[in-house]
Amino acid sequence: MTMARPRYTDLQLDALREVANIGSGTAGTALSSLLGRSVAISVPGAAAMELADAVDAAGAPEDVTWVIVVAVGGDLEATALLLIGKRDADAICALLGVDSDSDTGRSALEEVGNILVASYVGALGRLTGFVLTLRPPASAHDMLGAVVGSVLASRSHGRDYALMLDSELRVEHEAIALSFMLLPTPEGVDELLRRIGLGD
Amino acid sequence: VTELAIAAGTEVAVRMSEIAVSGDADDVLVSMGLGSCIALALVCRRGRACGLAHVMLPDSGGRESDRPGKYGDQAVPALIARLALLGVHPTALDAVLVGGAQMFVDTPGMEIGVRNQAAVRAALRRARVPVTAAATGGSTGRTVRVHVATGSVTVREAGAQEVCLR
Repeated sequence: MTMARPRYTDLQLDALREVANIGSGTAGTALSSLLGRSVAISVPGAAAMELADAVDAAGAPEDVTWVIVVAVGGDLEATALLLIGKRDADAICALLGVDSDSDTGRSALEEVGNILVASYVGALGRLTGFVLTLRPPASAHDMLGAVVGSVLASRSHGRDYALMLDSELRVEHEAIALSFMLLPTPEGVDELLRRIGLGD
Repeated sequence: VTELAIAAGTEVAVRMSEIAVSGDADDVLVSMGLGSCIALALVCRRGRACGLAHVMLPDSGGRESDRPGKYGDQAVPALIARLALLGVHPTALDAVLVGGAQMFVDTPGMEIGVRNQAAVRAALRRARVPVTAAATGGSTGRTVRVHVATGSVTVREAGAQEVCLR
């Protein structure tokens, strides 16, 4: 099945960016109360990309990174990814008082991912009226391209393009940055646009 | 006499769903950060050319795709055909497989790596191309390089040194 690049209008992409803004704002508030630090949120991006471009957009493919993945189901099928570099993961674990190289550290990072995704997705649900469910988080600490490529391969349903909503969260005075990516399925994007009154 | 540094070769990135072939001794075909994807390297034993496919999914189910490297069942014949255009006969080819890992252990729906490898091996059997080396499976990301000048294939796992497979 060869699928043409999905064409979203500027208005639709602006609206999706605003959805991401509300979601990441809520996730940022949750991170802030978790770490006891202020958190700044970047202006989110929203773009439909060829899968290989989506892998590149996540960062340098060979960089060894923590990736926490949460599958979102219910009225909207999507995959949420939280990307945390090694130094950022160490700093977060230090703030939480755990060793990042231990199983406890890994669980703590998964829990951070879970809380951020739950906050983001909760805001999305309140905005749209969607009933959304979360699977338990899974994590990998490996080459970024290997992890993101595997997620796209298993969750793209044979499509050639993915819509990526991405935002960056920065913990002030700690030089900690995390990237948050939401990858809805193509059907999920259509459903989301319909729900906010911008569907076809 | 000033010695000029010898160029380390031109790296040609072969990304998800892409294929590339080269008979240029300066070229190094590279797929970085392979997880569940399989990189299929085809090397001409007579040194004419090499090819690399970055396979994302096992089976096209008969669907047409304008991305010849995307599905294992289509990538093998597509790569063999591209190499034939460079004068490489299929009987002169060795195959090397890299990737097919499971990045998330115990997560349903993430066993694509195993199926990718099986699909590529089955297509190679149909084409009668032998697999002479492989670094596959496990749960580690890998980068593969195919050095056209020598026909050597090197692989690097996350946090490890590059090793020679062929």
